[in-house]
Amino acid sequence: MRLPLSRKVVVGLCLVAFFVLLSLIGPLFMHTDPQATGPDVLQAPSCRHLLGTTQTGEDVLAQLINGGRVSLGVGALAACVATVLSVTIGLISGYARGAVDGVLSIITSVFLVIPALPLLIVLAGYLPNKGIESVAIVISVTAWASGARVIRAQTLSVRRRDYIEAARASGERGHRIIFAEILPNEITLIAASFLSSVVVGILAEAGLSFLGLGSLTTVSWGSMLYYAQNAQALLAGAWWWFIPPGLAIALVGTGLALINFGIDEYANPRLRGIRRKMPPSPPTPAAAAEVAGDAVLSIRGLSVDYLTDADPVHAVADVDLTLHRGEMLGIAGESGSGKSTLANAVARLLRPPAMVTAGSVRYQPRSGADPVDVLGLDSAALRAFRWADLAIVFQSAMNSLNPVLTIGAQFDDVLRAHRRDMSAIDRRKRAATLLERVGIPGERLRSYPHELSGGMRQRAAIAIALVLDPDVIIMDEPTTALDVVVQREILQEILQLRQDYGFAVIFITHDLTLLLEICDTIAIMYGGRVVESGTAAELHAGPMHPYTRGLLDSAPRLRGDLRALHDIPGAPPDLSALPAGCAFHDRCSYAFDSCVDTAPPLLDRSGRRVACLLHDSALRPEPVPEPVRGRP
Amino acid sequence: MNFAIPRLMPGDPIDLLVIRLHGQVDPSAIASLRKAFGLTQHNILLQYFDYLGSLFRGDLGQSITFYPSSVTSVIGSALPWTVGLIGISTIISFVLGTLLGIIAAWRRGTWTDSLLPVTTFFHSVPYFWLALLLVFVFGVELNWLPASGAYSTETTPAFTGAFISTMLYHAILPALTIIISSIAGWLLAMRNMMVTTLGEDYVTMAEAKGLSRWRVMTSYAARNAILPSITGFALSLGFVVGGAILTEIIFTYPGVGYTLYQAVQDEDFPLMQGLFLIISLAVVGANLLADIAYVLLDPRTREDR
Repeated sequence: MRLPLSRKVVVGLCLVAFFVLLSLIGPLFMHTDPQATGPDVLQAPSCRHLLGTTQTGEDVLAQLINGGRVSLGVGALAACVATVLSVTIGLISGYARGAVDGVLSIITSVFLVIPALPLLIVLAGYLPNKGIESVAIVISVTAWASGARVIRAQTLSVRRRDYIEAARASGERGHRIIFAEILPNEITLIAASFLSSVVVGILAEAGLSFLGLGSLTTVSWGSMLYYAQNAQALLAGAWWWFIPPGLAIALVGTGLALINFGIDEYANPRLRGIRRKMPPSPPTPAAAAEVAGDAVLSIRGLSVDYLTDADPVHAVADVDLTLHRGEMLGIAGESGSGKSTLANAVARLLRPPAMVTAGSVRYQPRSGADPVDVLGLDSAALRAFRWADLAIVFQSAMNSLNPVLTIGAQFDDVLRAHRRDMSAIDRRKRAATLLERVGIPGERLRSYPHELSGGMRQRAAIAIALVLDPDVIIMDEPTTALDVVVQREILQEILQLRQDYGFAVIFITHDLTLLLEICDTIAIMYGGRVVESGTAAELHAGPMHPYTRGLLDSAPRLRGDLRALHDIPGAPPDLSALPAGCAFHDRCSYAFDSCVDTAPPLLDRSGRRVACLLHDSALRPEPVPEPVRGRP
Repeated sequence: MNFAIPRLMPGDPIDLLVIRLHGQVDPSAIASLRKAFGLTQHNILLQYFDYLGSLFRGDLGQSITFYPSSVTSVIGSALPWTVGLIGISTIISFVLGTLLGIIAAWRRGTWTDSLLPVTTFFHSVPYFWLALLLVFVFGVELNWLPASGAYSTETTPAFTGAFISTMLYHAILPALTIIISSIAGWLLAMRNMMVTTLGEDYVTMAEAKGLSRWRVMTSYAARNAILPSITGFALSLGFVVGGAILTEIIFTYPGVGYTLYQAVQDEDFPLMQGLFLIISLAVVGANLLADIAYVLLDPRTREDR
C-alpha cells in the first residue's frame, strides 16, 4: 500500500504543519501578551513588532500566533464533533435501513437544506456564554449533515457486498460487523470529511466573529479580523493587521484541501496525476514490413510500455502478428497477458502512461491503395481511419454504450462524422437495417441502452461496429459478460456476419477452447509476448508450449469427452516484475535449468511459432523432461 | 425521497422561533408584542395553529423592525435584489466552474492542472476577507467600481436604461466576490467526475468511432459527468433565496440576507419566520427542480415511473 505522496499532498502537509507548529510552539518563544496594549499604535512592521501593531498597540504577530491556537482548536473540535455525529448517524442509518434510516435520513436532509450561516447566526444567538467551546459545538451542529449523507451511502453499498452478507448470515453481531467490517472500508471517506469539516469550522468561526457573534474576548483569527474591520484597518492603511489572519486561514484551508486531493486520489486511482513524458526511444518508423499477400493488418515488433515512476513496465513486447483479409485471428491469454493492451495499441487507444515504444502497424485498404502506417497517422487521418477501416466491440456493451444517448443517436454520430453527405433519412435507414440484421427490431433505435437486455446491447454494439463496413473488427472479450446460451447465439451471429460482410476479426478472450471453435489462427500471449501461434487445427492437435497445454487443460469443454481439469499452478505474472529467462518458468512443470536464465526466442517453423526452449534443439536436454508435478 | 422534506421543513424554523420568543424577548415588551403580532395565545400549539391559519390567508404578520410594514412587503422588496445578484452569480459560477472543470479534466497533465490549487486557495479564503480586500482595491484605491449599495443614489428604481446600467455597475463587485469564492467547488466536482467518466468504456468507444474531440468531450464525457452536479446546483439555486448574508452586509445590498441579519439582530421573529418559510419553500422547490432536471437529463431515471 503506497500512500500517494504527490507534490500536492506534500505542499498541503507542509502548510498545515507550519501553522499547527506555529500555534503550538509559537507561544513558547513569543512572550508578548497578545492582548497587552501599548503605546505603539498602528505601527507598520518593524524589528520590534515583526507584523506591526493594532489600533490599541497590540502586537499583531503575537495575536496571529495565539489566535491560531484558538482558530485551529475551534476548527479541530468542531470537526471532531461533526465527524463523530456524521459517522454515527451515517453508519446507523445505512446499516439499520428501514424506519430508523427513514427518520435519520429526514433529519439529515433537514440539516442539509437549512442554509448553514443563518442557522449558525440563530444558534449563536442562544449561546448562554460565548466561550470558544460552545462556538465550536454550534458550528459542528451545522456541519455534520453532508458527511452523514456520504457515509450513509457508502455504508449502504458496503453492506451489500458479499463478505458483509456472509458475516451477517454467519450470525456475527451487528456492532462487530459495523466496526470490524464496514468502518475500515470508510476510513478514507471519514478522513476526507474530517479535514473538510476543519476548514468549514475555521471559516465558520471567522464568519461568526466577523459578524460580532463569536467569542470576541478571545483572540482568534476571526476576532482579529473583526477588530481590524471595525477599526477600518484597510482604509487606515494598516494592511499588516488585516491581511495576515485572512491569509493564514486561507493557507490552512488550502493545505487541508490539498491533503484531501491526495485522499481522493488514493481512493479513486483514476484521479491520480498523469505525466506526459516522452518515451525513452521514439517508435521506429514502419520498417520494411511489406504487407504480405492478402494481409489486411500487419503488426511488426510492437512494444508497449507503461511509463511509471520506477522502471517502465513492458506490457507488450516485440509482438509480430498478421491478420489476413476475412480471417478470424484469436488472441488468448490470462488477464495481464497484454492482450487488451495490444488491441488498444493497434486501435491507437492507449492512454498515458501507456505508450508504444517500438514497432509498426500497417493496414492495407481493400481498394488496393497504398498501405497505411496506423501508428503514424495524424489526428485528422486517424479519425477518418477509425471505425471506417477498424471498428471495435468492447467487452461489456453496458459500459461501452453511452447511457444517456439512444441507440439510434450512437449510430447516427458515426455516420455524421464519417459520411457527411448522407441525409438524415438515409442514416436512419442504414442504422435500422443493421440493427435488424443482428435481430433487433428497427424501432429499438429509439431505446436507451438500459432498456435493452444484455444480449441485445451486445448485438447493438456489433451492429454499430458494422455501420461503416470496416475491414477489421477488434472484438475484446465480446461475449464474456453474457450467459452461455446468449454467448452461443452471438458467436453464431458474428460468424454469419463475417461471411456476409467479409471483415477480418481479432478476437480476444481468455477462453482458448472458444477460439479453437471459431478462429482460423490463434496466438497465445503470456507476459506481454506471443508464446505460441498457429492455425486453430494445429493448436488443437498439438499444443507446443506448456502454457498452451495448461490453458487447454484448465478449460471445461462444451462438447466432447469428459476429462480431468487442471489449473495452471501459480498466478498470472506481474508485468512489472517478470521472472528472468522464460517468464513462464516458475509455473511450468516442464521447466529445466536453462529456462531460468535464457529467454526463449520465438521460433518460426513454417508459420507455426513457439517460444519455448523445449523446442530449441541446442538447449533442450535429452531426454525431454517429464512434467515434475504429475501431469497426465 | 424528497417529498419528506417539504413536510418537515416548515415546522422547523417555526419551532426555532417559538423557542426564541419565550427565551429572549424582553419580558415587558412581550405583552404588547404578542398583541401586535397575534401571539396572545400562550400555548405553543395554539400559536402554531394560529400561524398556520393566517398563513392560509397569505398573511405573514407584521415586521417589528420595519413596523408598520408587513412581512410580505419587506420580503417582497428584498427578494428581487437577492435573486438578481446572488442568482445570476450562482449561475455564472456554476457554468464557469463546470466548464473549467471539463477543460481541467480533458487536458490533464498541462497547465490546467494548476487551476485546482489556485481555485482551492480562493475557496479557502474567508469570504468576507476576500470581499473586503477587493472592495478596498477596486472600490477605494482604484475607485473603478462602486463599493456599496445596489444602485446609484442619484437614480430612482425604474425600468430605465440609466437605472439598469447603474444597477449592473453596482453588481459587478459583489458578483465577482461570490463567483471567485464559490467557483472552486463546481470546478473540483466537475473535474473529478469528468476524470472518472473519461475512464469509461463508452468514452473510449466514442474515440474509437472517430468522432470529433468536441463530440467525445461534450456528448459522451461531460454529458454523463455533469449529472451528479445537477442536484448540487439546484440546491444552491434554492439557497439563493436565503441571500448571501455576508455579501449583502459588506456591500450594504438591500437583499434577503441583509434583511435576515437585521431580523436576527432585532429579534424580529415574524420577519424571521416569514424569511425561513420563503427559504424552505425555495429549497423544496429547487429539490423538485433537481428531480425534474435529472429525469430530463438521465434517461435511466425515467424507467421507474
